[in-house]
Amino acid sequence: MEEWKQKKVLIVEDELEIRNMIDGFLRKEGFARIFHAGTCKEALAVCASDKPDVAILDVMLPDGDGFGLLTSIRRFSQIPVIFLSARGEDEDRLLGLGLGADDYIVKPFLPRELVLRLLVILRRVYAPPQIDRLPVFQLGDSTIDLEAASVTRDQHEYALTAKEHALLRKLYENRGRIVTSDALCQSVWGDDYYGYENTLMVHMRRIREKIEPCPSTPEYLLTVRGLGYKLLVKEEL
Amino acid sequence: MDGAARILRRYTGASILIAVFLLIVNYIILGTFVFKGMNDGSPPIHVTQTVAEGLHQNGTHYTLEPHAQEWLQKSQAWAMLIANDGKVIWDYAIPNQLPRTYSLAEVAQFSRNYLQDYPVFVWEHEMGLVVVGYPKDSLAKYQFHFPISWISDLPYRLLALLFGNILLAALLSLFIGSRLIRAIRPLISGIHALSEDQHTQVEAKGMFSGIARSINHASSLLQEKNALLKARDEARSNWIAGISHDIRTPLSMVLGYASELEESDTVPYEQQQKASIIRKQGEKLRSLVSDLNLVSMLEYEMQPIHTKPIRLSTLARQIVTDFLNNDLAETFTIELDVATEQCFVMGDEKLLVRAITNLVQNSIAHNPSGCHIHVQTALSANQRHALLIITDNGKGMEQSMLPDLVELPYSSKRKYPLQNGHGLGLPMVARIAAAHHGHLLLTSDTGKGMTAELCFPLSS
Repeated sequence: MEEWKQKKVLIVEDELEIRNMIDGFLRKEGFARIFHAGTCKEALAVCASDKPDVAILDVMLPDGDGFGLLTSIRRFSQIPVIFLSARGEDEDRLLGLGLGADDYIVKPFLPRELVLRLLVILRRVYAPPQIDRLPVFQLGDSTIDLEAASVTRDQHEYALTAKEHALLRKLYENRGRIVTSDALCQSVWGDDYYGYENTLMVHMRRIREKIEPCPSTPEYLLTVRGLGYKLLVKEEL
Repeated sequence: MDGAARILRRYTGASILIAVFLLIVNYIILGTFVFKGMNDGSPPIHVTQTVAEGLHQNGTHYTLEPHAQEWLQKSQAWAMLIANDGKVIWDYAIPNQLPRTYSLAEVAQFSRNYLQDYPVFVWEHEMGLVVVGYPKDSLAKYQFHFPISWISDLPYRLLALLFGNILLAALLSLFIGSRLIRAIRPLISGIHALSEDQHTQVEAKGMFSGIARSINHASSLLQEKNALLKARDEARSNWIAGISHDIRTPLSMVLGYASELEESDTVPYEQQQKASIIRKQGEKLRSLVSDLNLVSMLEYEMQPIHTKPIRLSTLARQIVTDFLNNDLAETFTIELDVATEQCFVMGDEKLLVRAITNLVQNSIAHNPSGCHIHVQTALSANQRHALLIITDNGKGMEQSMLPDLVELPYSSKRKYPLQNGHGLGLPMVARIAAAHHGHLLLTSDTGKGMTAELCFPLSS
């Protein structure tokens, strides 16, 4: 985690107080190499001289706007950019993200949120390339290997079909939370999912037969009446 | 255009009535004045008869009874008696230039026409033929001859004439009426356009040019007023958007530093609590600012709505699930009841989510000691509307307060002062419903919980 905090961060913001506040939060979180700019011109100069790794851009600047600035930066650099703006209308957000920003935060914001989003982006952009492996997790006596699409229980291995695998994956990504049947159907059958509710129930019963010790009184894959399903994961490998 | 057809119908009907009325009046006038004039005073044939009957032979003399003489004097007429041999044997005031002897041919000639331009009438007398002559140019003599069949057909001919007249009147009035309608039609469509608040330009010519100009003027006035209103609404909405925007930056600092102090280990516990209060109030302010902006844009119809067909049950399921997933306090229970999955509305998903979330949030916020919340999607009784009903069994609200809840706070339409909350929540829901051509219906009473019903037109 700490390696991300060695990255150079550029804050472009015309309000000195906000700039100092963001600077303070970032330093407190462990970021050390922080550059400031109050105008588009300064920002472009810093980009050219200090080559920051990530930029936080305000939209309204005294000599132009952040959208124009991003366009200028993109001419010579592909650094990740977060917009931080008091303009929160849909059009502004869509414009910002459409120009290739990595995130758009509307003021007023919680500093913790800014730092978390910044870290997510840094991790995504600068993480060393690694093979994406799907998780392996334990449900009671069953071991579920999503990579291999198999369930191992009592020395038996049960293969998961493609649909069962997709459903379990969606449920695992939202483990401990209810996933609506609409969302589950959509993840398997796409946008034209309507009419698959009964099929979904059949698939859920098959998954239970593979993962539950007693499928008729499920412990891990629970039905939330009228809403959807919930996967309870107690231990993780 | 039904308006024009109705006018034409009325106009034609009235014209036909007028024509028939005129026809009847004319018949009456003709009957009374003209034919009465023909018989006015003493008819010549009657005078002649009186003279013939009043002329008596007295030896070789003839005497005329005084009253017959009186008749003749009144008519300024003269008289003579022609004997069977053609000689005049008696006369009264006869003009000198008239001959005293007549041949058979001459008698036949003047009995039908004139005697030297004197209109004359004859009557049989025991001694010959009584002739009464009127002054020159005082009477016109005509004789008519009709075949009997013609006379017997006369009633039918008159009837045919009457119907022919009526038909002609109808055709004429239809023709004139349709010309009138052609002139009026642009005016009618212009007025219709005005009533629908559309711009209209009627060609100003013909007899209605004055009215056309008035319509055009009214139209341009309306357009100007609309433009002014729109500009004012836009200015107001922009003003609120500007204020909301300006509040965001200072609020960022309040929230930022307050949450930093709250989380800082070096700050004493008591101060951390105070910072926490500042942060929570700051977050309220943040939601107020964003609600304010949305409400003002909805109020002035500035919010662009990106509609797509949305299945109401999917939306409701997602919202109920979000509440359950996001640590709803244990004192609250929430339940979803989907009557039909086939319930689509055309809507802006973000706005609808905001409205429904707001209603559920309302039930939570106004019942701090907990309640049961029931969310239901259904079709209306007439199958034309989609309903989303949120019911709680909480403490409810006095019935008289309900109409106030959907009015904007501090608006003149609000009867009671604001009690709690910033009061933008329900007005916003009502405006989101209105922006979707639907409405929000609130029912409640003290101690009886609250029911909020969102009603939208179904999407086909």
